[in-house]
Parts: sequence; C-alpha cells; structure tokens
Amino acid sequence: MFRHLFKLIWNKRKQNILFLSEILVSFLVIFSISSMLVYYYLNYRKPTGFEYEKVWAIYYSNPLKTKDKDTLATFFGQVRSTLSALPQIKEVSFTGSNFPYANSNSTSGFTYQGKKYNRINYFQVDQNYDKALSAKMVEGRWFNKEDGIMKSNLIVINATLKENMFGTQPAVGKLIGDDEDKNKSKIVGVIEDIKTGGDYYPAGPGMYKMLDSASYEWISVILIKVTDNADAVFESSLSKLMAKSIPNSNIGISHLTNLRESKNADTVIPVVICSTIAGFLIINVALGLFGVLWYNINQRRGEIGLRRAIGASGSSVASQLVTESLFLATLSLILGSFFAIQFPLLNVFDLPSAVYLIALLLSVLFIYILVILCSLYPGRQAAAIHPAIALHEE
Amino acid sequence: MLKNYFKIAIAVLLRRKFFTFISLFGISFTLTILMTSTALVDNILSASYPDYKRDQMLFVTRMTKKNSKEGWINSSSLSLYFIKRYVSTLKVPDKIAFYSFGNSANSYVNNKKISLEFKFTNDVYWEATEYKFLEGKPYTRQQIDNAEFVAVISERTKKSYFGDAAKVVGKYIELDNVNYRVIGVVKGVPRTNRNFFGDIYLPYTVSKTKNEDQGLMGNFGVALVGKSKADLPAMRSEYEKMLSKVPREKDYDKLYAHADGAMEGLSRNLFGNDDSAGFGKMTAILSGVVLLFMLLPTINLVNINITRIMERSSEIGVRKAFGASSKTLVYQFLIENIILTLLGGILGVVFSFIAIYVFNQSGFTPDFEGSLNFTVLSIGLGLCLIFGLMSGVYPAWRMSRLNVVAALKVN
Repeated sequence: MFRHLFKLIWNKRKQNILFLSEILVSFLVIFSISSMLVYYYLNYRKPTGFEYEKVWAIYYSNPLKTKDKDTLATFFGQVRSTLSALPQIKEVSFTGSNFPYANSNSTSGFTYQGKKYNRINYFQVDQNYDKALSAKMVEGRWFNKEDGIMKSNLIVINATLKENMFGTQPAVGKLIGDDEDKNKSKIVGVIEDIKTGGDYYPAGPGMYKMLDSASYEWISVILIKVTDNADAVFESSLSKLMAKSIPNSNIGISHLTNLRESKNADTVIPVVICSTIAGFLIINVALGLFGVLWYNINQRRGEIGLRRAIGASGSSVASQLVTESLFLATLSLILGSFFAIQFPLLNVFDLPSAVYLIALLLSVLFIYILVILCSLYPGRQAAAIHPAIALHEE
Repeated sequence: MLKNYFKIAIAVLLRRKFFTFISLFGISFTLTILMTSTALVDNILSASYPDYKRDQMLFVTRMTKKNSKEGWINSSSLSLYFIKRYVSTLKVPDKIAFYSFGNSANSYVNNKKISLEFKFTNDVYWEATEYKFLEGKPYTRQQIDNAEFVAVISERTKKSYFGDAAKVVGKYIELDNVNYRVIGVVKGVPRTNRNFFGDIYLPYTVSKTKNEDQGLMGNFGVALVGKSKADLPAMRSEYEKMLSKVPREKDYDKLYAHADGAMEGLSRNLFGNDDSAGFGKMTAILSGVVLLFMLLPTINLVNINITRIMERSSEIGVRKAFGASSKTLVYQFLIENIILTLLGGILGVVFSFIAIYVFNQSGFTPDFEGSLNFTVLSIGLGLCLIFGLMSGVYPAWRMSRLNVVAALKVN
C-alpha cells in the first residue's frame, strides 16, 4: 500500500514539491507559536506563591544628604513606626527595588561544591517581607529582627534554587560561598517560589538577604499590606503623611494588582498579535491546500472512474486520497521536526526541553488535522464520481 | 495588446471565483499586516507632533560607563551636571533642550487617584519643539530662574484633573503636596515618543532633589537642534570632541554617551551596542522577518497559480500551435498575476485604513495618530509588485515549457 502511494507521489514530484514546502513552512510557524504558548501556559499553571491583593508599594526618593548609617537607620525606623501605627496597615516592609511585578531585577551568582550557579535573582529584604506578601516557608524560618543587628551572613533561598542545589536533601544549615567561595553564608530557610515577573514567567532560582543599616542609603521602596477598608481616601491621606514624614521626597504609591496587570499585559498583547497573524496565515494556507487538492482530484477523474469501475468502493477511494495527502504531510513533518528538534538539542532560547517537545507534538497534530480537514471534502467528492460518466468523459 | 490581456485576466478571474477569492484573501491580508506595521513604525520614527524638526536633532539620552577589564557596566540617563557643565558649552547647536525621564507621581482629586508622569524641562525645550497650546503659554527663562511653581499640562491631564472645566489657566494642580499654577495646556503626545511624552511639564529648577550631584548620571536627556539638517555632522563632531574631554571616573576606563538621530537611537536600543548603532543589523533582521512572513502566502499563491495555469493548458497549447512565443505567454501570465495582486493591493489598502482607524480609536496608546501617508502607500505598492512578481514568475516559467503536443493531447 505505502510503496504504491510513494510511487504515485514520486511520479508527480514536481507538483508535490510546492505542497510539501507549504506544509513545511506552516509547520515551522505553528511550532514557534505553540512553543511560546506552551511555555507561558506551563508557567501560568504554577502557583503565584504569594498574595498580591491589598499590597501597595510606596516609592520615595531619599533626600537625606547624610551617609551616616545610624542617622539613616534611626530616620527610617521612625518612618516604619509611623506607618505601622496606622490601623489600616497590617505590615510594613522595606525592600530593594526588585519587589514582585516591579520593572527591576538584580542577579547574583556563587559557587557551591565546584558547581557554578549563575543568574540567581537576588533580593534584599527585611524581616517583614514574608508577612507583607503572605509567602510560605517550605523549610526552616524567615529572618527575624536580630538577624539584621548581628551582621551574620544568613540567607533564605527559594524552592527552585533549593531543588537545583540539593534536590530532595534538606537545605537548612548548609553553608554556601559567594563569588569566589569566600564569605560563607548560612541557609536558614527555604521559601516557596514567588513569581515576580508576572503570571507567565517562572520564578527562577532566587535568594534573599536581610537588609542591613547601610542599605537605607540606597533603597527606595516600602511594601505595605493594608486591610480591606483601605480605600482611595486612605491612600490620599497616606500620600500626604509620607510627604510629611520624608520631606522633600517624591512619593509614589502603586498597587501590586495594577502592576501585575500591566506585567501580564506586556506578555499577553504580543502573543495575541502573533497568534492572530498566525491564525490568518493558517486560514490562508488551509484555503490554498483545499483548492489545490480539490483541483487535483478533479484532474484525476479518469483514474478514479477506472478504479471505481473495477470494483473499488467509494469510501476506499476517499480514504486513498486522504491517505495520500497525509503521507505527503508526513514527509514535510519529518523534515520540519528535524529543524524543530534542534531547539532543545542546542538549547537555543534557554527554555525547558519539555516545552519544545509538547509544542512539537501539538504542531504535528495540528498539521494532520488541518490536512485531514482540507482533504475530506475533495475526497468525498471523488467518492461520488460515477464510474460510467467519468470513463465516458475520458 | 495590454487591453486584451486585461480582458482575459478579468475573465479568468471571474471563471474560478473560489481560487480568485483565495488569492485575493492571501494578498490583501499580507499587505494589510505589512502596511499597518509600516504605518505604525513610520509614525514612531518620522518627524511628527511635537518635534517636527526631528531630522535636525541629535538626542543624547543614555550614558554608559564601562570597566573593560573587569566587565563592569553602569548605564543610565544623563545628569543635569553633565548637561550644564559640558553639553551646554557646545557652539554649533542652535538650541539645546533638556528634559527629565520617567518621573511619575500620584495626584488625588475627589478621592480618585490619577497617576501623572511629569517632566522637568528648560525653557529652550519649548522652542525646540512645536507643541500646540490649546490654552496659555509655556514658562519662560525668567520663571525658571525664579523657580516658580508653574506647570504646563496635557489635554488629558486637564480632563482627568479638572473635569469639564472650560479654562484652567490660573488654577492650581497638586502634585506630591506641592501646588503648581497651570499656565498652559498642550495637545497630548503619545507615549511612544519617549523624549517628549509627559502628562505635566515643570521648570527643572523646582525639582525637590536639587540635582546638585556632580556625577555624570542622572535622569535627564538632551536634544541638540541644528539650524538645518546640514548642521548634523558638525554638531556630532563637536559633541564627540567635547565628550572625549570629559574626565573618566575612577574605576571606569570607557565612557559612552552617543548623540544619535532618532532612527539610530532606536536601532542602537534594539540591536546595537555602544560600539555600533546596529543600523545594518536592524535592516537585515527586519527584512528577514518581512521575507519570512511573505513566504507562506507566496508559496500558497504559486501553488494556486500553477493550478490555474495548468487548467488552461489547452488554451496555451492552441496559442503556441498558432505561433505565440514563450516570451509572449510569460508576459501575459505575469500581467495577469500583477493585475490580481494589484486588486489584492487595493483591498489591502482599504483594510489597512480600517485597521489603523481601529488602532487609533482603541485607546491602546492614547494620542497616537497613525496614518497611511505617501511613504507608506508607496512602500505598499512596491511590496505588491514584488509579491506579484515572486508568485508569478515560477508558474509562468513552468507554463512556458509546456509541450504543445502534450498540452493539446490532454483535451
């Protein structure tokens, strides 16, 4: 059967080469779009790891000209207690500028047992960060107030980094070094992954370090968790209070919910545009395939009539035509998969291999469905050919 | 002769309506996408409101310090100190306008929050650009020197802050607990014009952070405006000479702060680096993407065209038998194809008008007014012809090689 089909196809190789290249290019387009979609979908399914509702970020600029650590620490200690005293505010946390959904990131790296760990998200936070974000500990504990005073090298890592470094082994109590394996830090806890880049990006490996008093010189964000009755009136009075507490500073307040929406929109909008364009291209291709198959079958009326005359059933004629197109599509898909499989093999965009493999399967499936849909109607038409009429025309 | 070909083409197109529909769908859709994106990019790149003199301008918006040995890189916008101490010494530029980037603050009106992006500027800023003042006027040198709390606001800010008030000049707008007197209202600039977008413009001397820092980095950008386009090379070389004299900071051996035209600035941002503007790279990548995008509909069209032409093998056979040369036939089919693509092109232009209208109205980027101008239309026409040729040549060549006897025998 297949040898026979192959012979038929080979005889018309010139006509088929265009059909083949069309399917090949469509496959590559579908593959790239579906890789993107699969990647985002897999990330989207993972939990956010914290609660962003009712969390506000207050930006301020530091107007104090002093670089004296104690003065700064005292000053911002007062700001903290002013804020905590408000009944609408549940938690106050000073943090570096790379808090969740902010347009800022900071990375670091270190060596552990001879293995280099690079591009690890590096967060500088204080003792209330986990409570402000309602994040959960997987293991060990979060920082407490004494950790900041004691200048000890304590760090908290996130679940992804723990998984990368220790697998299923416990991480708490392990010592890790910084860039040149000096200044060992002790892991005190493992926190659940916090997806800081929006719903469609993975949390990635991350480590948290306690802010010390010297940091107040350059940090400029306070995260606050507010109660349910904190409304715009409160926000307005909070803004005035902040302007009074930190004179000569530019104050800005944003809600994490809004930041999250704009982060997500940054991801979704290009995807929607690309998918719409790809969708139209595919409609275009489908119509083209349909037209070509339809025409080809009309050209082969004589051949089909003859087959019917010597006893082939209508359904077997139809299925022959569909199988022929599927066989052609398979040839293209083999070539296309060869290109597609290079992405995980050469690790082109640093995405997990699973993404490409799922995308590959989806696009193969998609192409087959497309080809079947486009050849079903011409196939049925061929099946309806009456042998006597077809042979008479001949 | 041409008239004949035209008649034949129309007759053929009407005979096989389904194939004609597929071809037109593919061509018009592809052109719509290409023309809409060209129109949007053209709007961002070419001179438009409020900087109509963009071709006479060089922008310095970014400074990078590099330690090439250790690989440290520190990059940011410019400081006011750098602009006043160094850039303002330049003699060639006619005007030197500077402005800050990306400061936003919340303002509260009737317990509603409005987020406003404010820009500190100098007085030359208003001379270098041609903002349309709906009310009032810009602040003057005098007002800047006195550090008066005055503000020019955009039309949208007026609407969100003052509601339906007819005149707002003389009223006060509160930002970070400071009251500014509104002295002018301008027509809004879309956010895509990063250098000139703002919700509220303020004299740079009222900034709370007094900008006394002696470092080179801050959050300002500079636009150097020449008297004409011819001044650009002289401006650039004078600027570079000045930059080479700026003392390097400790720990850093390289200092980059390019004075780029609008186009170079964009390509450097996207594809270039400090050593090259990446203009060639941008052109190469963009044309690659456009070609790839056009490939699929083209293959489709070739497929359809071949089908169409082979269907007419008897006609070709007869014409050949009566002595028509292959060349004539190829011409005929090319012309037919170009007529088809031009028809698709006209549809594409209509669809592009609709798409751009929808985009402008969608509020996706407020104040953005993309339009199909002459450039965009001629690019579209050019693409159309390329498209027609690309999809017409191969089928026509295949047809011209058709054997007369074989072609006639089929029927």
